[in-house]
Amino acid sequence: MIELNGVTVRYPNGVVGLDDVSLTIPDGQFVVVVGLSGAGKSTLIRTINGLVPVTEGSLKVDGVEVAGASQRRLRDVRSDIGMIFQSFNLVKRTSVMNNVMMGQMHAIPAYRSLIGAWSADEKERAFQALERVGIVEKAWTRASQLSGGQQQRVAIARALAQDPKVMLADEPVASLDPPTAQMVMKDLQRINRELDITTMVNLHFLDLARQFGDRVIGMRAGKVVFDGTGAEADDAVFEEIYGRSLTADDVLPGHA
Amino acid sequence: MSTASTASETRTVRPEEPGKARATIGAIVLVILVVAGGYLSNADWGKLPDIFTEGGRYFSLMLKGLVQNPFSEPYSEYWSAALGGMLESISMAWIGTMIGAVLSIPMGFLAARNVSHPVVVQVTRVILNAIRTLPELVFAIILLLPIFGFGPNAGALALGVGAVGTLGKLTAEALEGIDPGPVEAARASGAPGSAILRWTYWSQVLPEVLAFWLYRFEINIRASAILGIIGAGGIGSVLSQAFRYREWDFIGILLFVIIVVTVLVDAVSGAVRHRIIAGSGVSDAKVEQDAATL
Ligand SMILES: Nc1ncnc2c1ncn2[C@@H]1O[C@H](COP(=O)(O)OP(=O)(O)OP(=O)(O)O)[C@@H](O)[C@H]1O
Ligand SMILES: [Mg+2]
Repeated sequence: MIELNGVTVRYPNGVVGLDDVSLTIPDGQFVVVVGLSGAGKSTLIRTINGLVPVTEGSLKVDGVEVAGASQRRLRDVRSDIGMIFQSFNLVKRTSVMNNVMMGQMHAIPAYRSLIGAWSADEKERAFQALERVGIVEKAWTRASQLSGGQQQRVAIARALAQDPKVMLADEPVASLDPPTAQMVMKDLQRINRELDITTMVNLHFLDLARQFGDRVIGMRAGKVVFDGTGAEADDAVFEEIYGRSLTADDVLPGHA
Repeated sequence: MSTASTASETRTVRPEEPGKARATIGAIVLVILVVAGGYLSNADWGKLPDIFTEGGRYFSLMLKGLVQNPFSEPYSEYWSAALGGMLESISMAWIGTMIGAVLSIPMGFLAARNVSHPVVVQVTRVILNAIRTLPELVFAIILLLPIFGFGPNAGALALGVGAVGTLGKLTAEALEGIDPGPVEAARASGAPGSAILRWTYWSQVLPEVLAFWLYRFEINIRASAILGIIGAGGIGSVLSQAFRYREWDFIGILLFVIIVVTVLVDAVSGAVRHRIIAGSGVSDAKVEQDAATL
């Protein structure tokens, strides 16, 4: 369970990223966060795993306080939280295997990780993670040789190798073409259902948000302005969240 | 209101332009250095034409050695001394490069702004810059020869220490140029610092850094020949002896071996570099440009 209680995030330059946000996200839920650019979607996601520090309030992941946690404690919290990015964030000059291995680094001693001496168990775990996203055969390929959709799957496998309780995804399909975006979203949904991993995804296509969100959270200027089911989030609600009428850019091309 | 005709009704606050003070100061310093350099270098330019008259005479003397039968005395000895000396110079250069490479890895990480604390970065950069301003010859003479005695070991160590300055700087710059995305992904997964340095920073710079090492090896081949002249062994030492006895034909053979072997090593090393870089996705031109400061 993720609990935010009056969380405010103020960046060093004074910009308020989150403004007194209170949310409770129960285990296993698939949450989609929507909002205009600059609304604070990324800030919300990145605050949950401590990449952005909480300025005020309390944020607990499975009962562990993240606000003001030590680096050690943060590493432990993060090892249970997978994260997926818009730009995949793979190391392109190394193999898919080594990339997926990053998900297990928190448990691998330095003397082995420095020379890349992975144990058979660790490799098997990486293979299983790759299997879940259907690209085991690419394990030894250089990450740079994969398509965007394949790279995002490797990134999902990297997160799965952590054996996470929570999965955070910041615009995971924004760099992908519509059919690939659908597939990657379906992967995330399947993983959420099969492994019961609490999932929080930032999206800016509202049709995807409705299709996949068990729950949709709308943000504007750092505040939560809508919190309901995907079915409740009709066009009027989105116009309310966006503060403008909807355009063709708000839906996935060739889908709605 | 004529000036406002093209402006829109609502004006958002314009972001402030970053200051130009640094670039201006840099330009002024550069001009001062160039002008000062012109005054300071009062070379005797009048002697320049002598190169054409005197130079030609020595050149023909040196060529003589090359056209003799290499299997006759004393030319067979000259050739084997030249090749043996060159081999020693190459190994001196290789060992020196290895020493420099190994030392430059931690220095590079310490000097990279996106890795180390700003104070550590500054201190390391001062050290690297100090090393870079001193030529290997100075290390060899001041630091190493008195301790290790004259010989190839001292030469290799001098080359190694000399290489740390440039290799450390280039490694730091390569590290600062990496894609920060994977670093963030690694941090988000709870990975410890050692794994992050090894698998996001180091993996991203490895091809470039290897290319820099090979470049430095090519440079060290030349430098080791020169170090030999002041007694660090290798072909330079053979050359200085030949000079002492004015054996022009021997000198010709030595210079020929130095030139041919240097060109060969450059070609092989260059080919290896291109292979490494080609497979890595870095632009070849960028690496060449960076390495020009080596
Ligand atoms: N590292 C940072 N330092 C300072 N301000 C930041 C930082 N990151 C984000 N902000 C600011 O915080 C606010 C919220 O940003 P955030 O990235 O969370 O928005 P977002 O909803 O993810 O937008 P987008 O859809 O463009 O990704 C913005 O005003 C942004 O400029
Ligand atoms: Mg964002």
